[in-house]
Amino acid sequence: MLRGVDLEVAAGQIVAVAGENGAGKSTLLRCLAGLADPAQGVIEVLAGAPVDAPEFWRQVAMLGDEPAWYPGVSVAEHLELMASVHGGGRMSAGAALEAFALGGRAAMHPLTLSTGQRQRLALAMTLLRPSRLLLLDEPERGLDSGFKTALAGLLSAYADEGGAVVMATHDLGLAAACGARVHTLEASW
Amino acid sequence: MVKGWSDRYLTLYGLVMLAVVLGPPVAGALGGLARPADPVRLSAVLALLCAAFAGYLGLARKFGPMVVPAADAAWRLLSPLPRRLVLGRGALRLAIVGVLAGLVIGVALASVLGGGGEPLVRLGAALVIGVGLGLGGMALAVLGQSGPTWDGWLQAVIAAAVLAAVLVALFGAGPGRPLLAALTTAPAAVAGLVAAAGAVLVRQAWTALDKVPARAILASSTRAGTVAEATTMLDPAVLTWAAEDAHWRGRVLGTRRWPVRGAWVLAWQEIRRASRRPVFMGALAGATALPALAWRAELPVAAFALLLGGALTAAASMVAGARRDGGNPALLRLLGVGPGVARAVRALPPAVAGGVWLGVALAVLEASGASGGGLWALGVACGPALGAAALRMAGRRPIDHAMPVLDVGGPIPTGALMWALAGADLALLGCAPTLLALAAPEAVTGAGPWLATQVITGVVVLGGYLAARSFRAAWR
Repeated sequence: MLRGVDLEVAAGQIVAVAGENGAGKSTLLRCLAGLADPAQGVIEVLAGAPVDAPEFWRQVAMLGDEPAWYPGVSVAEHLELMASVHGGGRMSAGAALEAFALGGRAAMHPLTLSTGQRQRLALAMTLLRPSRLLLLDEPERGLDSGFKTALAGLLSAYADEGGAVVMATHDLGLAAACGARVHTLEASW
Repeated sequence: MVKGWSDRYLTLYGLVMLAVVLGPPVAGALGGLARPADPVRLSAVLALLCAAFAGYLGLARKFGPMVVPAADAAWRLLSPLPRRLVLGRGALRLAIVGVLAGLVIGVALASVLGGGGEPLVRLGAALVIGVGLGLGGMALAVLGQSGPTWDGWLQAVIAAAVLAAVLVALFGAGPGRPLLAALTTAPAAVAGLVAAAGAVLVRQAWTALDKVPARAILASSTRAGTVAEATTMLDPAVLTWAAEDAHWRGRVLGTRRWPVRGAWVLAWQEIRRASRRPVFMGALAGATALPALAWRAELPVAAFALLLGGALTAAASMVAGARRDGGNPALLRLLGVGPGVARAVRALPPAVAGGVWLGVALAVLEASGASGGGLWALGVACGPALGAAALRMAGRRPIDHAMPVLDVGGPIPTGALMWALAGADLALLGCAPTLLALAAPEAVTGAGPWLATQVITGVVVLGGYLAARSFRAAWR
C-alpha cells in the first residue's frame, strides 16, 4: 500500500524512485500507468489523458519486470516491429542495435540471448519508439556496469528531447549518472 | 505399500470398464477378418496407419522418450550407478506404451486383412506386426537419444512413414494394388520380418541404455516435467509455451523488413512465423488428405472429426501473437495498439489459414468420391468462424478449479469442460451450415443457399466475438 506519495514530474525531467524491496516502487509505476487503481488520491498523467487507453499508450512507454517476446521474430525484427507499428521510431532499428550493443545477435530469437542482453533489447524497444513519458521498472536489472553508463547517456538524451522519465531503481549510481531527482519510498511494514 | 482389496477392486473395475468401452469397436474391427479384402479400404487404412506411425515416432522423439523423475534427474542420473539401473523402470514403461500402441495398430490392421486363409493366423500376424512396429519404433526412439547417428535413422524412418502414407494413399488402390494384395495373402511372412526387426531394435536399445548421455535424459526429463506440471496445475497452455519457446530458443532467424506498417504488422508477424516452420506447415498441408482417407476407410465420424479438428489446428497455428499478448500484454502496451484493433487484425491469419485448410480438405474429399459439389467453397466460407474460434482458444485462461463438478453418472469437472470447449464451441456454431451440408451431401452445391448461409454465419460469429470481447478490459 502506498501512503503520502506526492510527486510531480515535468517534461524533460528524470525521476528515480528508490526504496527497499516491497516498498511499493513497482506499484507506484503501475498506478501511473493506470494498471492499478489507487484507493485514494489523484493521479494525473499527461495533463489528465485517460489512462490505460490506446491513445495513452501511444505516448507512454513502459518497461515492466517481465519482458515478453513474440515467437518466430528475431531481435532486429522486434525493433523493426516497434518502429513499423509506430510509423517510425526515435532512431532506426540499426542504430538501436548499435546503441544497445546487440548487432551480433540481430538474427537470433530473443530467448537465445543472456538475461542482460534481453534486458538491453527490452530497453532498446522501449527507447526506440516515440513517447512522451518513460516508465521503467528497475532498468538496470542484469546490465553490466559499462552498459549502465551508456544507458544513463541514452536516458539523458531522451530527457533533453523533452521526454519525462520515472524509473524505479536500486541503482543510485545510475540515477546520479543521468542526473535524476531521487525520491525514496519507505516501507511501512 | 501393500495393495488392499479396494485397490484390486478398482483395478478390476477399470479393466472391466475398458473392456466394455473398447469391446464393440474392437469386435467390429476384427469382423473385417471374415470379409474379403477391399482394396480401396485397405489402402486408406494403411495410409492412415503409416501417418499415425510417423506421428507416434515424432511424439516419442519430441518428448524423449526416455525420461526420469525429477529426483532421479537430480541425484541418481549423475551418480556412479550403472545408467541401465537408473533407466530400467523408465524402459519398462516405454515397453508397455510400445506394446499398447502396437496392439492398436494391430487391431486396425486386422480390420482390413480380410481374404483367404485362416482368420486366426491373419489376426495373429496383424497383432505381431502391430506390436513389432510399436515396440521397435519406441526402441528406435530410445536409440535416437543415444546419439546423432541413430537420431538420423529415426528421422529417416519418420520421413519414410510419411512418404509411405502418401504413396499408399495415392497408388494403393491403383497401380500399387498387387503389392498391397501380397500383404493380405502373406501376412505371416511380413509379421516375421517386422518381429525380427523389432527384436533387433529392442536389443540394441537395451544395450544402448548404458550409453545414453545424461544431457539427453535431462533435457527430455525437463520437457516431461513441464508436461507433468501442466497436468497437475491443469494449465495446458503451459505446454504450448514450452513447445514454442523450445522451438525458437537458439535459432538463427535472419532479419527481414516488415512489408506493412501500423497494426497490420501484427498480422504479418503470424505469416512470418509460419514461414519459419516449414516442416510443421508442410505436415499441416499434408493432413488435408486425412479426412478423405478416413472417408475411404469407411470411418465417417473420424472424417468429420478430422475435418473440424484439422481446420481448427490450422487456424490455431496462426494465433501465437494473440496467445503471447493474452498471457502478458506488456508488449502490446509498448506497441501502443489497442486490444480491440489488435484482435481484429489478428483474426485475419487464422481465418485465412482455417478457411483454406478446410477448403482444400473438402476439395480432396470430393475428389476421392464423396458426393456433393463445390464443397470447397463452403470450407473457405468457414474461415471467419474458425478465426474467431482460434482467437477464443488463444485467450483461454488456466482451468478454473473453483467451478462445480457435475455428477452425471460420473464426476464431470465443469472447469475443465469449459476450457476444452472454449473455441470448439464457436467453430461448431460458426461452421454449422457446412457441417449440416456435409451430413446431407446430396443437397450440396458450391453456390446457393448453403454457401450464403455459411458466409453470413461465419461473419456474424466473428463480428459477434470481436464485439463481445471489446466490452471487456483486456490490457491489464
